[in-house]
Amino acid sequence: MNMEIDEEEAPPLLVTGDAPKLSSTIATELEELNITKVPITIVTGYLGAGKTTLLNYILNERHGKKIAFIAEFGDSADIEKSLTVSKDGQQVEEWLELANGCICCSVKDSGVNAIEALMERRGAFDYILLETTGLADPGNIAPLFWVDQGLGSTIYLDGIVTLVDAKNILRSLDEMPAQPAEPHAEAHEGPELTTAHLQISHADVVVINKSDLVSSVELEAVRERIQSINAIAKIHVTHHSQVPQLEGVLLDLHAYDSVGAAELEFAAKGHSHLDPTISTLSIPVPILSAAQLPALDEWLRSLLWDSALLAPHLAAVCPAPSTSRASFEIHRLKGRIPLSDGSVKLLQGVREVFEMLDEKDASKGEDASKGTGLPRPEGKTVLIGRGLDEEAFRSSLYGTLGVQASA
Amino acid sequence: MTIDDSSPRKCLGKDCPNDAGSLQCPTCQKMGKESYFCSQDCFKRNWSEHKAVHKSQSNPLRNLFPPKVVSEPDPATGLFNPFPTFPYTGSLRPVYPLSAKRQVPSSIQLPDYAKDGIPHSEQVFMGRNKIKILNKEEQEGMRKVCRLAREVLDIAASEARPGVTTDHIDEVVHKACMERDSYPSPLNYCHFPKSVCTSVNEVICHGIPDKRVLQDGDILNIDVTLYHGGFHGDLNETYYIGDKALADPDSVRVVECARDCLDEAIKIVKPGMLFRDPGNVIEKHAKSQKCGVVRTYCGHGINQLFHCAPNVPHYAKNKTVGEAKPGMCFTIEPMITLGTYRDKTWPDDWTSVTQDGSRTAQFEHTLLVTEDGVEVLTARLADSPGGKVPMPGVNGSGTSAPTTQPRANGAD
Repeated sequence: MNMEIDEEEAPPLLVTGDAPKLSSTIATELEELNITKVPITIVTGYLGAGKTTLLNYILNERHGKKIAFIAEFGDSADIEKSLTVSKDGQQVEEWLELANGCICCSVKDSGVNAIEALMERRGAFDYILLETTGLADPGNIAPLFWVDQGLGSTIYLDGIVTLVDAKNILRSLDEMPAQPAEPHAEAHEGPELTTAHLQISHADVVVINKSDLVSSVELEAVRERIQSINAIAKIHVTHHSQVPQLEGVLLDLHAYDSVGAAELEFAAKGHSHLDPTISTLSIPVPILSAAQLPALDEWLRSLLWDSALLAPHLAAVCPAPSTSRASFEIHRLKGRIPLSDGSVKLLQGVREVFEMLDEKDASKGEDASKGTGLPRPEGKTVLIGRGLDEEAFRSSLYGTLGVQASA
Repeated sequence: MTIDDSSPRKCLGKDCPNDAGSLQCPTCQKMGKESYFCSQDCFKRNWSEHKAVHKSQSNPLRNLFPPKVVSEPDPATGLFNPFPTFPYTGSLRPVYPLSAKRQVPSSIQLPDYAKDGIPHSEQVFMGRNKIKILNKEEQEGMRKVCRLAREVLDIAASEARPGVTTDHIDEVVHKACMERDSYPSPLNYCHFPKSVCTSVNEVICHGIPDKRVLQDGDILNIDVTLYHGGFHGDLNETYYIGDKALADPDSVRVVECARDCLDEAIKIVKPGMLFRDPGNVIEKHAKSQKCGVVRTYCGHGINQLFHCAPNVPHYAKNKTVGEAKPGMCFTIEPMITLGTYRDKTWPDDWTSVTQDGSRTAQFEHTLLVTEDGVEVLTARLADSPGGKVPMPGVNGSGTSAPTTQPRANGAD
């Protein structure tokens, strides 16, 4: 691939030429501090939901930011991809040089490598937007960009934004799949799930577009249906894909590195079955000791890797857990687990990949009880997926942790 | 590179009176040129003129008609450096031309990529985290190919000494594979040109055997993979070349650290081990030896496919999915460095070197998870060359270390 570097655009940033010979370990640590990480936002939505209009709106908005945009990213290995860099209405197209399909024991996805290489040549972007194809399952794409901290990548997954069309979304959700299937049939990848379900269940932000085309009653029905599927996602209503503010609404979501207490509180407001397929389940978790974390990790591994609920109290009488397998699937998971030593563990998961991490900044925790003398609020874990039986999940988790059901 | 400038360098900006600091044009730097400017503003003002410099250097025809330095090999030997302008990170250079592609007789069973270089059967997108469990016959197939691979590595290692080229090692490996009715798996895997990877000094992995002569004092990793009876067996070890290498404390530190990292990681392998855990063990040991762990490359599942699920990262705190179950086969192959863990790839698209040019070492075994533990399928044999050596100058053992060969990686 001999794509010439396009020299017509602005000059790249100068770099420091002299590699200082520090002691190597110090140098390595400094290196890690100096990495500027660029957020990547995945934008999904049906054809006709207004994705293109939204992206054009973002790219043409005079915000002074340098935004890179990758179009039509599917969930299969693409060979050639282009990327558009936009700043103040001026756009330049670049080719992403994807390694020739060879994954030879390399950890990073070739798309991540290609973006990193491009930024190394051209200087960092402020934001990267990745538009999926209309039918892509964002749950397959998100893990590619949720790169391990240890890899020192220059990009990080900021979140998933899903656009829905207020007029057509309910019909899309109720669409019968190609072959009729029972909602709880032994199917692994659910054909009974519509793409609309997958796009909403994985979303961190849902933008309800074309609101001007429906009545306020219809709009409310759409909002309720979406909330019943995904109670953690922030919802914005708009028309003509115009979003008044980008930062914090569509960009800078930090959906994969922080978990606010308030968003989980919101999700706990009742477990609705308005949507027959996908729902959000919130399970309160009492304050745990550090010694209970391995059990929590084990429960999550079983849940996400094997699609099985651990049932320690039933283990003896239930030798074949296979019957409970594949009757549910988890798309997204979040949690806040306060520990008895005063620290807080955060849970993040998408499909089978999950992470238990320390809350970096305790002040972000919105821990209202601080200094009030009130007891600290208990923890919560929120699951989004299919076939979530509240009672079964709750008793499995409590049984594994060895805690009393408080509710 | 500490620069002690007696005369400060000037900013390249037109009519700019300023001295330049350490800021330079990244494009020029990539091309191995130095263009310093006093500030981003000055650089911006001069951009339209300056960028012409890049054009002349990045002339597309250059690929067709390389500059003189490339096309004129040393008249005495015919050898040349194919990428003379590349900013190498250490002192190692490729020595071309490569020898002709080695042939494989039609009697030998080929993996799918042998013809067109593309491992079609590995390119699955769905079920990336699904790990294959081998039945008894398949396990026997893995045992067989791994034993053959061990024999080939040992033969290659006994040839590794000052004065021979890495191309010679490649020839030895290729012949030994043919004698064992085996295909050398690296050959044409994603178009890799040779039958084995030979990685010298600052090369982390995927070094291409060429005409460079091994020096007394080098360290050399030989990474052998065989394909036989429908299965791949993969292992590598790092060897000291000559007495100078054995007497260099840094070389011994990085090589023995890598050897111990692999051994420590293998100790935890048994049913129920999480594939995210070896990285924690490896990084902990490497840190204790003040060494770094390369992040870019990881261990991998291996069976009828050369590389498949699971990924086994060597760094701590990874989110890898999956746990070990009896019948799974995978490799662990930590790459350990004296300096930075960061890697850079040569323009040959294979050779991976440390960004600071520091030395790096690697060891690898193919492992089979058993009912109650692990079988090291590529374990050392009683007479395998190489093996653990003591730190020079410690306990008066001096440089002429006793060359007893403890079975460092043995599974016994």
